Amino acid sequence: MKQEFTLEIAADNNFSILNRIVNVLNRRRVRIKKLIAHEMEGDFYRGGAILLLYTTPELMEKVKHQLEKLIEVEYANYTEGSDAYYERSEKHGCRVAS
Amino acid sequence: MDALLTKTKTGAQEAGKEVGKKISGAEALLRCLVAEGVETIFGYPGGAIMPVYDALYHYTDKINHILVRHEQGAIHAAQGFARVTGKTGVVFATSGPGATNLITGLADALIDSTPVVCVTGQVFAHLLGTDAFQETDVVNTTIPVTKWNVQVAEAKDIPAAVARAFYIANSGRPGPVLIDITKNAQNEMIEEFTYEKCTGIRTYRPKPTLQISQVQAAAELINQAKRPYILAGQGVLLSGATEELKALSEKAGIPVACTLLGLGSFPTDHPNYVGFLGMHGNYGPNVNTNECDVLIGIGMRFDDRVTGNVSRYARQAKVIHIEIDKAEISKIIQADVPVHADAKEALAALLPLVKSATHQEWIDSFRELNRIEEEKIIRKECNPDCEKLMMGEVIHRLSEMTKGEAILVTDVGQHQMTASRYYRFRYPLTNVTSGGAGTMGFALPAAIGAKIARPDKDVVAVIGDGGYQMTMQELGTILQYKIPVKILVLNNSYLGMVRQWQQLFHEKRYSCTEMVNPDFVKLAEAYNIPARRVTQREDLVPALTDLLNAKTASFVEVVVGREDNVFPMVPAGGCVSDVLLEPPTVAQQKK
Repeated sequence: MKQEFTLEIAADNNFSILNRIVNVLNRRRVRIKKLIAHEMEGDFYRGGAILLLYTTPELMEKVKHQLEKLIEVEYANYTEGSDAYYERSEKHGCRVAS
Repeated sequence: MDALLTKTKTGAQEAGKEVGKKISGAEALLRCLVAEGVETIFGYPGGAIMPVYDALYHYTDKINHILVRHEQGAIHAAQGFARVTGKTGVVFATSGPGATNLITGLADALIDSTPVVCVTGQVFAHLLGTDAFQETDVVNTTIPVTKWNVQVAEAKDIPAAVARAFYIANSGRPGPVLIDITKNAQNEMIEEFTYEKCTGIRTYRPKPTLQISQVQAAAELINQAKRPYILAGQGVLLSGATEELKALSEKAGIPVACTLLGLGSFPTDHPNYVGFLGMHGNYGPNVNTNECDVLIGIGMRFDDRVTGNVSRYARQAKVIHIEIDKAEISKIIQADVPVHADAKEALAALLPLVKSATHQEWIDSFRELNRIEEEKIIRKECNPDCEKLMMGEVIHRLSEMTKGEAILVTDVGQHQMTASRYYRFRYPLTNVTSGGAGTMGFALPAAIGAKIARPDKDVVAVIGDGGYQMTMQELGTILQYKIPVKILVLNNSYLGMVRQWQQLFHEKRYSCTEMVNPDFVKLAEAYNIPARRVTQREDLVPALTDLLNAKTASFVEVVVGREDNVFPMVPAGGCVSDVLLEPPTVAQQKK
């Protein structure tokens, strides 16, 4: 059964990193409902992304490991639901209509 | 060939810090490659990589560049080189179509875990995104088919990019890496060249830390097992774990079957070896997958060619999965005991924890099933009494005559499956084939790379008439460098594997699979390669003898039965227990 997940990724902020992340999700046909990308404060070379995804729990777990295979990705952690997405996006200064 | 054997390693001594002498980015690239121990590059020049080739002109004493006839030939040659040595294959190509011609090979190397570093030229940085001549967005095009890639637009960034590339390509689960260097970066001068090998990347964890608890759990299962069964994949070879695998099998009395890319990881003449797994694998290994109680997958990824229908795959068994790539564990088959580790390390830790045991009755059950296969299929294929020559007998003779010691490079199709079934591999790194991607045209250039890497071994390329024509332009490479590969084309004038499926599952509607072929013998002779065609059984052994004894490149075409099929076969959608020893009945087809 599909449901919402909040995925938080930390990665080296290299060219094309967002493309690499989205490619993994596209390949698995995981729906991206919302996405925020940001630099880490005080560290230009590191960045992150917070994504609100819609998929099954089984696929979410598999996709997490495939994302962590990307060389630049430090971690890809997910939680169920959208609360974490809105909480983290507020923290990064994004007001998002729910 | 002698010229290729005289290179000496001076790069490591010469790399390092050079103060006061400016060098170009192109030369810096070459110094980095020399520092990485690169002695051979397969490539094809062009405008956007010309500065590199100009610098290469002064490095001919350190680096052998093999000019291929198509960039796809370059990357397959680099793969063949890598497969038989474990070293990283290196490719040069130009921008635009030169780079895009690498994509098939990159995809092949990625899925088959082959370490390759490709360097592509790119237009000047100020032209990026302007649709310049021979400009393509190589980085974004190759993201899905590389382990990593990077574009370098300034010369000063070249050393770090090369260092990372080599580290990534040949660590953890190996794979292809691409470095795209703009022309200005190749031309720019670097004030102070330094090169340091990469030993770590903050975000990249290639080698997992072995969890002893996982190994202990695996040992417990194995010690309780009545019918344990090892499936050995390429990871055993990549890890150098063949001795550990043999020790485990012998100590715990566990039968071992190999995946396609795992062939060579366990000696085929060992009493515990039970066969080749998968869609066209041996009968016993497939059937007994659904009879074992503990299934131990080592360095393999439960590919669909191995599992068939996963809903009916080893449901009765507890599954132990020893695998370095965490994303592969439980991706297809849920592991009861995941062991996220390098195979060598895991097996070394496992060995003292498993008890000595024998499971002779269980191993004998494989023999009984294989005896059925021997009667119904193998005997007829390897020693046929019909007039036409059969692929099985050709491979069987070849295996006997080489004593399983040659490096066998196969293309894709019926001949590949036949070769995998009947060639008795005895040593690691002697089986080179395209597994996950199934790239037709792989074998001829891969054999070139393998022979350059291993001039001391016989390298035999076994190719179908379809795949041969995809990359036969590389005969030009063989001609130019006098590379003594032995080419064996099995010609049935069909795209045989597709025809087989059309026969079995599409009521013999042979749609676009019949081939009208040229005279392959004359073509080989046009490239100064001695060649002959075999159409009669009595000529087979003499032809193979001449092929194997030839000191130069040599070519034999064997005309084989046109509509022969490869069995056993796990039908599409079927489970491993459904493996067929003969064509399906109408009822089976409808199912």
